Amino acid sequence: MALVAAPSNDRKRVKVYELKNNDWFDRGTGFCKGVVLSQDDCKILVASEDDPTRQLLETKISKDDGYQKQQDTLIVWTEQNGTDMALSFQEPEGCAGIWDFVNEVQSRLQSLAPEDGLSDDIGESINPILLPTPELGNLHEIENLMRSANSTTGGREALAKFILAEKYIPKLIPLVSMAEDLESASDLHRLCSIMKMLILLNDASVIEYVVTDDVILGVVGALEYDPDFPLHKANHRQYLSDESRFKEVVRIEDQDIRRKIHYTYRLQYLKDVVLARILDDPTFSVLNSLIFFHQVDIVQHLQANGAFLKELFGIFGAVEQDLQRKKDAVLFIQQCCAIAKSIQASNRASLYQNFVNNGLLEVIQYALRHHDASVRVAGTDILVALIDHDALMVRSKIFQAIQEKTKPLTDTLIELLLIEVDLGVKAQMADAIKILLDPNANSASIEALGRTNSDFLAKVRGTLPTVPQTDNFIHNFYDESAKKLFQPLKDLEGRTSMDDLTVQEVSLYSHLVEVLCFFIRQHSFRSKYFILSEGLGARVAQLMDCPEKHLKLTALKYFRTCIGLHDEFHNRQLIQNRLFEPILKILFDTMPRDNLLNSACLELFEFIKRENIKMIVTHLVETYREKLQTITYVDTFQSLILRYDQMHEPATTQELENSFTSVDSDTHTPARVNLIHPGKWGQALKDVDAEEEAYFNGSDDEDDALPGAAKPVLNGASPVRPLVNYPDDEGDDDMDILASSAVATSPNTSSATQTQDTPTTSPTTKANAATPPERISEKRRREEDGEDELLASISTTSSKRRASVNSNSSVASTGSLSRLRSRKPNINSGKDNGAPKKISLSIPLKSGGEGGEGD
Amino acid sequence: MSIGGSDLDRAITQLRACRPIPENQVRELCYKARELLIEEGNVVGVDAPVTICGDIHGQFHDLMELFRVGGDVPDTNYLFMGDFVDRGFYSLESFLLLLCLKVRYPDRITLIRGNHESRQITTVYGFYDECLRKYGSANVWRYCCEVFDYLALGALVTGAATSLSPTDGPLADNTNIENFPEADAEIEIETLNSNGEIMYRYARNSDSQSSASQATSNPASSSPIAPTPSRTGPAGTGATSSANGSSRNDTGAILCVHGGLSPLIDTIDKIRLLDRKQEVPHEGAMCDLLWSDPDEIDGWGLSPRGAGFLFGADIVKCFNHKNDLSLIARAHQLVMEGFKEMFDSTIVTVWSAPNYCYRCGNVAAILELGEDGSNAGYVRRSNGDQGGGGGGWILGSNVGIGNSGANGGNSNTVGGVNRRLSSVLGDIGKGREGPGRRYRVFEAAPQDSRGMPAKKPVADYFL
Repeated sequence: MALVAAPSNDRKRVKVYELKNNDWFDRGTGFCKGVVLSQDDCKILVASEDDPTRQLLETKISKDDGYQKQQDTLIVWTEQNGTDMALSFQEPEGCAGIWDFVNEVQSRLQSLAPEDGLSDDIGESINPILLPTPELGNLHEIENLMRSANSTTGGREALAKFILAEKYIPKLIPLVSMAEDLESASDLHRLCSIMKMLILLNDASVIEYVVTDDVILGVVGALEYDPDFPLHKANHRQYLSDESRFKEVVRIEDQDIRRKIHYTYRLQYLKDVVLARILDDPTFSVLNSLIFFHQVDIVQHLQANGAFLKELFGIFGAVEQDLQRKKDAVLFIQQCCAIAKSIQASNRASLYQNFVNNGLLEVIQYALRHHDASVRVAGTDILVALIDHDALMVRSKIFQAIQEKTKPLTDTLIELLLIEVDLGVKAQMADAIKILLDPNANSASIEALGRTNSDFLAKVRGTLPTVPQTDNFIHNFYDESAKKLFQPLKDLEGRTSMDDLTVQEVSLYSHLVEVLCFFIRQHSFRSKYFILSEGLGARVAQLMDCPEKHLKLTALKYFRTCIGLHDEFHNRQLIQNRLFEPILKILFDTMPRDNLLNSACLELFEFIKRENIKMIVTHLVETYREKLQTITYVDTFQSLILRYDQMHEPATTQELENSFTSVDSDTHTPARVNLIHPGKWGQALKDVDAEEEAYFNGSDDEDDALPGAAKPVLNGASPVRPLVNYPDDEGDDDMDILASSAVATSPNTSSATQTQDTPTTSPTTKANAATPPERISEKRRREEDGEDELLASISTTSSKRRASVNSNSSVASTGSLSRLRSRKPNINSGKDNGAPKKISLSIPLKSGGEGGEGD
Repeated sequence: MSIGGSDLDRAITQLRACRPIPENQVRELCYKARELLIEEGNVVGVDAPVTICGDIHGQFHDLMELFRVGGDVPDTNYLFMGDFVDRGFYSLESFLLLLCLKVRYPDRITLIRGNHESRQITTVYGFYDECLRKYGSANVWRYCCEVFDYLALGALVTGAATSLSPTDGPLADNTNIENFPEADAEIEIETLNSNGEIMYRYARNSDSQSSASQATSNPASSSPIAPTPSRTGPAGTGATSSANGSSRNDTGAILCVHGGLSPLIDTIDKIRLLDRKQEVPHEGAMCDLLWSDPDEIDGWGLSPRGAGFLFGADIVKCFNHKNDLSLIARAHQLVMEGFKEMFDSTIVTVWSAPNYCYRCGNVAAILELGEDGSNAGYVRRSNGDQGGGGGGWILGSNVGIGNSGANGGNSNTVGGVNRRLSSVLGDIGKGREGPGRRYRVFEAAPQDSRGMPAKKPVADYFL
């Protein structure tokens, strides 16, 4: 038998992917070759393009592994150890070369294989299936044959092979119109069932085939007659044949890419509409991965196509008169950016780089000023996506604009925020300002970039002007722009009545106060000085006088945020300006009632009490003692007074304090006390933190990364981590953040903290009290390990920034959030269990099929 | 532009037909809802009678089926325990309809927050995409999320009757008549199918029943429930009454919350000290209330969900005792039978999304609590006075309580503080009898009544 010849080993540029936690992890880019080491030892090697001595991949071709070629440039298989791998080739020729090599090697290995028990398997899997040529008369038979074949893995594989080899689908399609002419509902229902079964075979090549131009309408035509809905007929054909849905702003010359665009759309339609109800998870992920790889190709093609980009961005030049075309171009770019969120960081980076070089920022400026709100929405969308992707770049561009004495983007945003009438767009602009000024913005994605391809990153960075420090940027903001932004707040000074605010004003003020809240958390000293010099604290307090309760609430939140920072500066401000007065007024106004405002006030005072912020306690009790004494429906205020009294005679009231604050703990069962965790709520006293840190440092090596990360957390509300943490590449880092947040925070009602607050508590008690946080970190760690969380994952890459944007700021970009790793529920039929190993990329697209038990 | 009286009715009509309302109307609606919700406490006071519902998850047509089975708003008072959105394809229509009804009949419908009423979760599980598809921008999603922040965290139902006045509905085909309690027995639990036919009925304290019920409630009240309920006893119920055998028609309050309890919350009043107007935090009391689950463990346990906790029977019993509760009603977990009582009927899970995700094959349930005859001076109609048919009881008892809900919430809760306090001091050792519970079980809306469920396709495409 002839030796297999190694494929011509010209440089085949390829990306290596590995499936980790249901996510395709990019192992790097390199050059692929096949090598023949001996008769039965053939390998595929990929050497890194950055460092040819580094092997990105070395895999031995075995006869059993299910290699699959998908589209023209993708080979997918499962390693001996169970890892799913994929090679994505730059050129189809390269892919074909390696594919032929694999096939040759495999067939030779199989012929070499001894006749043993294994041959049964092989026999079964290639046991061909034969379906009769379809006619209306034998549909019943075909359906039954398919159903029985469908029940085994081998049968499904054989079925898929047969269908493609025999061009079976084109034979079925004419039957649809025949049955329609005959008005034979039963035949139509059978055709629909057959078609469903074909698609749910979950074979990538079958699915790729059904969306091609020749058959798509016939396929969805059959699917219009769902036997589950005998009285309904869908109108898929009508929808998909409407060519006006495809908007081609700039002609795409490449036929292949045009086709891929249409295929992507059809796949999406299959996923969302035709199969929405019946989609099982494996098919869902096949659809997603097909869409994903198409989109990668499309975006890659476009961003590298200079002529195309030139024409696209040329639309915004003076020559173009067609306003509709300009609008469409904005929407086109918006869609590009939306897709870019889900593709690999390096591809995304080059896309944005090329876009920016062609004038993306000018497009944003244009869109933000557009008279049509939908275009302004698109503009902010693009901007937020861009900042999300690379805030440093945006900032450097803004610097550039300042140096060139043109209007920087920040000022445009501020101006527009102040005058924007569409309340939705206004909210989005406020978010954009926050993200732009978030010192932590997308540090995570930059890390990701670095990990993916450090060389590339360097290239991208190299092309930028010297990257200014974020800090400089923020500094500049406070020097130049902040006054403009907060001018409306400042203008409140001297306003006597707050009763006649317009809807626009109310909305503007609440955005400004929210932005201010964000700033005092993120840029501590600059914002402090700014707020002091502009006297903004008193202005915010003024807002508490307005009749709009939600605005009162927003203003109240500002003060709660200040207090939560444990910063003497802010506390002194509050005291000096007597800003507790309006807060107490709200409390008294709402007091007999149990409503949101009242609870928010109580929470604020409860926090002061719990954290024992002495400066404020003293101020409150000395200034408002009589008032506080009258509030008896909760014990918060009596406790405040008590604390004050203790501060002044600490020795004698020790017992009293204990008996008072430990009322709750007396009623706890021991088991509960153990599980009550000081780690959970609000911000612990600083000195307690120190104690806890000392404890951890001393006793637990595992936690040695803890102390540094302790930061104030507000009301348990400002999340230091995403809602649920997921095992991912950065698992360890997350864990540290977690553990430290657990330490840094403290419960509001737990007896444990209250014990700690007691001035004379002995060190032993403190050590004991500090134990529970460890349990928490333990708990979280175990969760990290657990793969089977019910919740899907929310990407951690963007979590830091998102976490720092406060609760009102909505999640501005979803793509980065949507990296979803849901556990597959067991609610599907057993189909997927025995299914042949298909490519199943749960790529960063949304998964809708995750509906497991619970929640 | 403002969405008032007739506009609101028009919006309701449109939404009932499963057609979204224009963006500006959504905004007005959300602003109106915000004004209402800001006045609600973190734990809303609700008077019985009320029908308690669990997760809906955007299954609009099944929500319509729920209203068909349970009675329409405002004829029936409703309490929805969150998770209105995500997963199903009509989150938008479902949530907006409920919100419209809330604004239109604020005293007849109570909405509390579920873990899916959150920005982070909705971006992953479908609601965000749905809004984007249906309106072309995320604005509507933003407005809705703003409303989510204002939703109450729980509700406290007071004035529920300990026993049900029996329906005179026909018996369902598979009902085992021999297990039926005496005609004059006090009925604790009754289960009806979607046609109002009685599937079984269960008396409080009757000898024959209590032995049977002990068998069911025995240690593993959460063990999988037999699919054929009529043989062994109440499906889903773990059920029995307390041992003291008194038949006073007075029951402790019922706490309704989406997820469950929190180790940080030992009294209901502590919930009042939370500032709920925020995104659902990742931990802390507010998070736990929306994320925790009961489980067969002692004390507290780690939740596999990664948020909230697991809590055992001892926790529930202690909490109920301390807060003078007879029952905790919660949602959050799929139960195939639609409802499931645990821990000697101290807690019940109610699930109202039939055939969840269009394929789980489960049935759904709602829980009706009757009105205590002595409550607020209203006398419930006697047996003879029922309107006939399965729905007579609930409809009849609703007549005439028209405005009792208007100021009910506030006075109730303030009064409740003292009552609960005294009960902790004086009442120790006496368990509260559970309220009479009528479960109506229903299946997914008939497929032909709803068309094929599908997401809205992408309208135009550039790429």
